[in-house]
Amino acid sequence: MAEKLWFVIPELILFGGAVIVSVLGLSPRRVIREQLPLITCVFLAIAFIATPIVYSVERVDLATGLLPELGRYVKMSVCLIGVLLAMLSVGLIDRRLEGDLGSGRVPFDALRTSRGEYYAFFLLSLIGVMLCCSANDLIWLFLALELTSLPTYIMVAMSRGSRKAQEASVKYFFLGAMAAAVFLYGFALLYGATGTIELTAMQSIFREQRLAGDLNPVALVGLILAILGVSFKIAAAPMHFYAADVYEGAASSVTAFLGFVPKAAGMIALIALLATVGWGAEGLPQPIVTTLWMMAVLTMTLGNIGALLQRSVKRMLAYSSIAHSGYMLIGIIAGPGLGVNAVLFYLLVYGLMNTGAFGVLAGLERQGQEIETLEDLAGLRQRHPAMAWAMALCAGSLLGFPPLLGFIGKLYLFIAGVEAGQLPLVVIAAINSAISAWYYLMLVGMPILASPSPRSETIVRTPAAWPRVAALLTAIAVVVLPVFAQRLLDGAAQATEGMVDATNEQEPRGG
Amino acid sequence: MIAANAQLDLLTLGAHHATAIPIAQPTTEMGWAGWILWLPLISLIACGLCAAFRVRNKLPAWLTVGFLGSSFLVTLGLYFQYTEPVTIELFRWIDLSLGTGTDAAGFTANFSLYVDQLSLLWMLFVTGLGTLIALYASEYMESDVGAGYARFFAGVSVFLFAMSALVLGDNLLMLYLGWEGVGFASYWLIGYYYTRPSAVAAAKKAFIVNRIGDLGLALGLYLIWRTFGTIEYSELFERLGSGHHATQAGGWSVRAIPYLLMLGAFGKSAQLPLFVWLPDAMEGPTPVSALIHAATMVTAGVYLLARMFPFLALDAAAAPTVAWIGALTALVAATIGMAQYDIKRIMAYSTVSQLGYMFLGIGVLTTFGAAYHVFTHAFFKAVLFLTCGAIMHGFAGQLDLRKLSGLRQLPGWRITSYTMLYGCLCLVGFPYVTSGFFSKDAIMAQAFISGSTGLGLIALVTALLTAYYTFRVWFRVCAGPVKYELGDDHHGPDDGEGHGDHGDQHGHGEPHAPRLAINLVLVLITTGAFLAIFLKPWAREMVMGSTARNAEPHSEGHGFWQDPHKWMPVVASITTIVGIAIAWHFHLANRKAADALRSRLLANPATAWLPVAMENKWYFDEIYHGLIRLPLWIVGHALAFLDRYLVDLVIVDGIARVPRWVGRAFQPLQNGILQSYAVSMAGGVGLVALLVLYMPQVIKLLEGWLGGGGGG
Repeated sequence: MAEKLWFVIPELILFGGAVIVSVLGLSPRRVIREQLPLITCVFLAIAFIATPIVYSVERVDLATGLLPELGRYVKMSVCLIGVLLAMLSVGLIDRRLEGDLGSGRVPFDALRTSRGEYYAFFLLSLIGVMLCCSANDLIWLFLALELTSLPTYIMVAMSRGSRKAQEASVKYFFLGAMAAAVFLYGFALLYGATGTIELTAMQSIFREQRLAGDLNPVALVGLILAILGVSFKIAAAPMHFYAADVYEGAASSVTAFLGFVPKAAGMIALIALLATVGWGAEGLPQPIVTTLWMMAVLTMTLGNIGALLQRSVKRMLAYSSIAHSGYMLIGIIAGPGLGVNAVLFYLLVYGLMNTGAFGVLAGLERQGQEIETLEDLAGLRQRHPAMAWAMALCAGSLLGFPPLLGFIGKLYLFIAGVEAGQLPLVVIAAINSAISAWYYLMLVGMPILASPSPRSETIVRTPAAWPRVAALLTAIAVVVLPVFAQRLLDGAAQATEGMVDATNEQEPRGG
Repeated sequence: MIAANAQLDLLTLGAHHATAIPIAQPTTEMGWAGWILWLPLISLIACGLCAAFRVRNKLPAWLTVGFLGSSFLVTLGLYFQYTEPVTIELFRWIDLSLGTGTDAAGFTANFSLYVDQLSLLWMLFVTGLGTLIALYASEYMESDVGAGYARFFAGVSVFLFAMSALVLGDNLLMLYLGWEGVGFASYWLIGYYYTRPSAVAAAKKAFIVNRIGDLGLALGLYLIWRTFGTIEYSELFERLGSGHHATQAGGWSVRAIPYLLMLGAFGKSAQLPLFVWLPDAMEGPTPVSALIHAATMVTAGVYLLARMFPFLALDAAAAPTVAWIGALTALVAATIGMAQYDIKRIMAYSTVSQLGYMFLGIGVLTTFGAAYHVFTHAFFKAVLFLTCGAIMHGFAGQLDLRKLSGLRQLPGWRITSYTMLYGCLCLVGFPYVTSGFFSKDAIMAQAFISGSTGLGLIALVTALLTAYYTFRVWFRVCAGPVKYELGDDHHGPDDGEGHGDHGDQHGHGEPHAPRLAINLVLVLITTGAFLAIFLKPWAREMVMGSTARNAEPHSEGHGFWQDPHKWMPVVASITTIVGIAIAWHFHLANRKAADALRSRLLANPATAWLPVAMENKWYFDEIYHGLIRLPLWIVGHALAFLDRYLVDLVIVDGIARVPRWVGRAFQPLQNGILQSYAVSMAGGVGLVALLVLYMPQVIKLLEGWLGGGGGG
């Protein structure tokens, strides 16, 4: 027990932060309420520093979980991107009210303003992601996944004072609940088939089953249902329908959050679930590979095709987020070693460039409304050069344009796919990448090359500078980090070390 | 033509190197050497911040000088700490390992330094001269303070970072990174006066011509990786030395390696046929011409060939090719230089010509001669460019040698005139008192031994021409009666106070003489050029301790006339003095005679083409225009037509419509209604579950269909 608690110290730190933020959020004084994002960032920074100490070598050697090393990389990435996301939210949660407050049109009202609970939910959701990597049983995994998602439903609703946000929130909640039901059903079947909820125990049972013959069909269906249910979190087909509507309905800063946090949790849950059957010498069971294969192809294709027709930048980025989940599934199929490393690396990469792109949208506004359409971005370079370049760099990176960070991420995913013998899948992904150039290049070209439209000329900066700082930081990271890509990848490789050993232990089935 | 002993024999060289090449070992200490690279990078950021905060004083210059100077000091420290070749890993950069077992392949390129005598030799003058030239530029560029000043020094910092990465990198990818980096910095700085169309055109020309060479380098890099399975120097030399099986097989792809590397080197170092960009590059500010296009960047090609010297052995004709290209370039550039009037351009052609000597040195297997000439040339050519720059700066852009005369008698111009005189003496290789004499002789003598008489004679004739055109400049500009016209540069680099003070756009005002920073730098570099004489044994030791080491073939006899190393000093001295005498006759003693000769040549129809062709650079630009640009232009327009009316309309739009049609087809699913989403999701889950339950049957069906294509 103490062992388990030791590894959740970063989560406990953030939990402390969440409590403090929610209490301070009730303060009647405006000054204190305005410090909430800063406090959030401070706690994230503490958790970031604490993580490598918690995961010191001698401690990790004692750990018994399924993926003992995973936490270090994931928790540090989550804290890092968490800081950027918190910066993105400054002054933008219920932007119109905040704007009126800032200009003095509306008096400060302790009951209505500067939502302290937003940052508490923000931290709680991040805790959910972190807990996913310590999960060693199905209940823990389920709770962690739901802890990630439940706060986001509320965050979507409170992010804008408009009905659109509330509609999005309701949709998100109902569909999320349905997905949760699906994977909970899958978990139940898994329990029924193995008689245990512990993932490590399940792993050895599956190993015996596969040595003896085939996997228990109930377990197989359970796994498939669990995978499908979890794929809601990563917005993969066929559970992706909510994404476009919800992403559009929420404020940009929350959309950026949705693009990274639930996706990270879903990917980690997928890795943990699949690690129970193991990639091993003979690979994943064929039905699961087929399922993942179809999901990957459908997800990237539907995502990219959906994005092609959009004029709304947020919807476009929502569909692109779906497509990127498809790319990441290639790594999941490829398995431990190159594949899972590439997925973990890509999560961080995607988190950065996605945050940057939404940061540009969040950092600018027209008459107190965030910017929405492509026309709003036209000729941005002339009045907001830094934002225009940040958008261009992030979009270029999302496209995977060398030598930007996104290129490196995609390269590793594709290499992993080829190495795992999934050449057709990689070819499909490459074709999809080419299709995606159509709309990403619009995001590059519109701000830089187009001449301003009447709509884009009225665009001004938001009063708070932090969202733009976050966008700039990510744009710089997208350019600079490729140099250090190998280091990050080493971190990801370290995270999955135990996993490679565990799966390699599996003896190939005789005959 | 080529003497038999000039042919490098692959096997013997391989065996020779296996025992003799000192291959670098990795070390974990000396991580501080990384500061040689990081300091220019910090300098770049500092200059960027100065530009962002609109600093209106000379701060960027002092920051740059400080950071680059520190970088030089670190290099010095590294030199004194140096005991044996080492590689220093700064951080892991690219490290891919693919496949397993016998198929294992990898691509490793870490951000590491390869420190041996060759890279140290280069780094010492790169960082040292870089610092001094930045100091010079602090005064030279002062009319741009607040405007482009920070941008200029940022460019210089980028250049020094890239050049250091090029020289110090421990693998070919880092060399390539630096290679492209210096190309980019050079584009940035040539186009510094971006409002001037000629500067923009020159910047583009330099960049594009360099691309051709870069293509060769990139292909060479790829072939090396294919053949040897690594691009890290230490492993490469080990595998080459141990007679790696692939080189024994020796297919065309292995034999192409030296030629591709050569193509890269010829592009960067402005050799035939890719030399046309360098003279135009003089559109950049003069410190740039001195730093990039004379002293350091253009020697990158020589460095590449010296670094990869053992690879020249992969094909028997490779070294002679280098020698002939070098010798011909030296000759052609010298003849063009004779007929130019713009002193900066003359210096540019002399650079091309001297680079030709360096390649001749590599080609006739005296890596020492080549590297030593690089070293001495860096100093005296920097002096020459900086004095030209001082004149240009002081005389409002006047560079025409017909409009300047007797500068050494003008007050304040004495240091400029006499440092220029010493620079000229070095360039022509004046006997015994100049470093240029020793370095050039080493190459010319070796050309007779391991090259051929033809190569040696070309080198001697070029030396004669060099003496003539160099002293044509000095006698015209610095000697003779005082007489000058100011230039009319009132919008370009050197207007600033020069013109503001005189208020006269046609140049009858007073020139303003260089002040402390310029004079100090001139004196320092001239001293360096002189001291380089005594560094000859040191340079030999440096080269021979590195992978570029090479036993220079000796002459067969030992008598005076049998050993070119013995008679060359005498012959070369005579040649040089004759050249200077001719220049003295035509351009100082009897200036009218030169014009008379020219008009006589023009009057005679049989010889009239000669001066015209030389003035027009043998029509290289026009030939390239006709042979390459024009056909490309025609093909390009034809393709554009096809593209617009056939490919775009029919194929691309057709293909582009497909995803959109598909998108439209799926749009009804995305109708925003909660229930329909839920039904779609549930339907999807149900379908997948059914599929899994009936998997075996479905797989059979699919396999029947696709032949097992899907499903992994």
